[in-house]
Amino acid sequence: MNDDFEINDPDSGVSIHAGFPNPATDKRLRSLDLNQLLITHPSSTFIFRIRGDQGANYGIFDGDIAIVDRAATPTKNDFVLWHDGRQFKLSRSAKMTDSSTLWGIASAIIHQYRNVTQ
Amino acid sequence: MTTGRQQFPEHVFALVDCDNFFVSCERLFRPELEGRAVVVLSSNDGCVVARSNESKALGIPMGAPAFKYRQFFKDQSVIQFSANFELYGDISRRITAILAKTVPHAEVYSVDESFLNLSEFGIADYAQWGKTLRQNVFRAVGIPVSIGIAATKTLAKLGSDYAKRNHDLGGAMDLVNITNEEHQSYLINFPIEKVWGVGRRLAPKLHAEGINNALDLSRLRPNRARQLMGLRGLQMVNELNGISCHGFNPQRSQHQTIMRSRTFGEDTNRLDVLEAAIVSLTTQAAWQARSERQLVHQASFFLNSNRHKPGYASWHEAINFTMPTNDSGNIGRLILERLKTIYNERQWYHRAGVTLYDFIPEEILQMDLLGEIQPNIHDASRARMSAIDAINSQYGRHHIYYAAEDLSKSWRPKHNLESPHYVSSWDELPEVYYSQFQQAVR
Repeated sequence: MNDDFEINDPDSGVSIHAGFPNPATDKRLRSLDLNQLLITHPSSTFIFRIRGDQGANYGIFDGDIAIVDRAATPTKNDFVLWHDGRQFKLSRSAKMTDSSTLWGIASAIIHQYRNVTQ
Repeated sequence: MTTGRQQFPEHVFALVDCDNFFVSCERLFRPELEGRAVVVLSSNDGCVVARSNESKALGIPMGAPAFKYRQFFKDQSVIQFSANFELYGDISRRITAILAKTVPHAEVYSVDESFLNLSEFGIADYAQWGKTLRQNVFRAVGIPVSIGIAATKTLAKLGSDYAKRNHDLGGAMDLVNITNEEHQSYLINFPIEKVWGVGRRLAPKLHAEGINNALDLSRLRPNRARQLMGLRGLQMVNELNGISCHGFNPQRSQHQTIMRSRTFGEDTNRLDVLEAAIVSLTTQAAWQARSERQLVHQASFFLNSNRHKPGYASWHEAINFTMPTNDSGNIGRLILERLKTIYNERQWYHRAGVTLYDFIPEEILQMDLLGEIQPNIHDASRARMSAIDAINSQYGRHHIYYAAEDLSKSWRPKHNLESPHYVSSWDELPEVYYSQFQQAVR
């Protein structure tokens, strides 16, 4: 910015900047946003905490975060979130015969190596 | 007998009304409570503010005082929750977003009701359209809604009430494409108390006149309606006959007043506790005003002694701001000054509240009233408040507060039955266990 040639006219209140435009001021250029990557339908997306290490074979560990979309359409290999009458369960979908227990589809599992919140 | 109902109405409104909204929100994360009697209690666990259908069937009235019903709840295994307004607010915003995607014109009427303007949509089958919307909302947020579609808002509300009680309708009722006979039969089965705008005060007066249902009301002559109930009554009669008097008003979603009140954990006679409560309530109310980009001209606060103890009394003070503001500091300072003038150390106080009203949008102030306000003070105060808001929204509410707020937490209500902050706290997320898929045990 120091190289910019600048004209300031205090009477008119007009300030003219010349030189290279600063790309950071271009509103079309946005930083990467993890919401955009992880959340397709914000209105129907809820966040769960994984408990237990039963999912370790699939790389799902205690304390992980599950992004769950209620409005997504289940397909064969989805991880589905359902309720067994006592607890929420996450399963690699086999045949979901009783759809009334289906709560949503996990679209992502987040495993944090270091806690960055707080 | 012919009614004034128009066959091809100029307007079509849909009312989307969430079924037992607070209870439905609690059940979203506790699906095992489906089919159980559930109640939600007001913030100080004072009284019932929402009931599941099972609780209604047990005869628990709206507003039932919790202390009177504690044994009954125990005997009948009624599940109790303290109101979790962060959860309800979040779900409400999600529903509003879904409705706004469906129809460009949505008017948020309350936390659990929205009017949609369908006038220009040319929907062939309103009932089917409503059922589909109901399914979409349920699929997205798990909240059941009932939808009434009609030529006026009053009839749309009546329709949603029918849809709620008659499950064979599939959650949506079309009052547009019906015959006059059907229209009349729906009105005759609708008690006068439930008509939008009648309320508890007007109903006995109407009963005394022999007006017992919506059809009786719709047949009142205009002069008589006006005489009995004023202009609003006349509008009510017109609306029941399909003549729209309450237009579509998307601005309605802005608050007319912002009120925050709390009951003290236990009655108090301490000035510092009162001050802390007032400042905290002011902070919350002003935050709301700022989030809506509104400035207030007037504020008021009240104090009550305990209604259930002898010598019940209440105090109410109003304050005008020469310069409109939404700065918690400015508002709080004037309220605290006034508080000192009515405070009496021998008096025990039970409840406090702060109301902000007489709003003008921030933009209007900036454009039109520059001569009246002191821009420097205004700018400094705005900058300070946005800084505080930014920090609070980044680190959670109440991270920064005014010194007076911190004096005492003893006034804070006991939220012992509140459900976790499922959608607003990383430490309270709903939990899920990985498991090989197996048939649900019911």
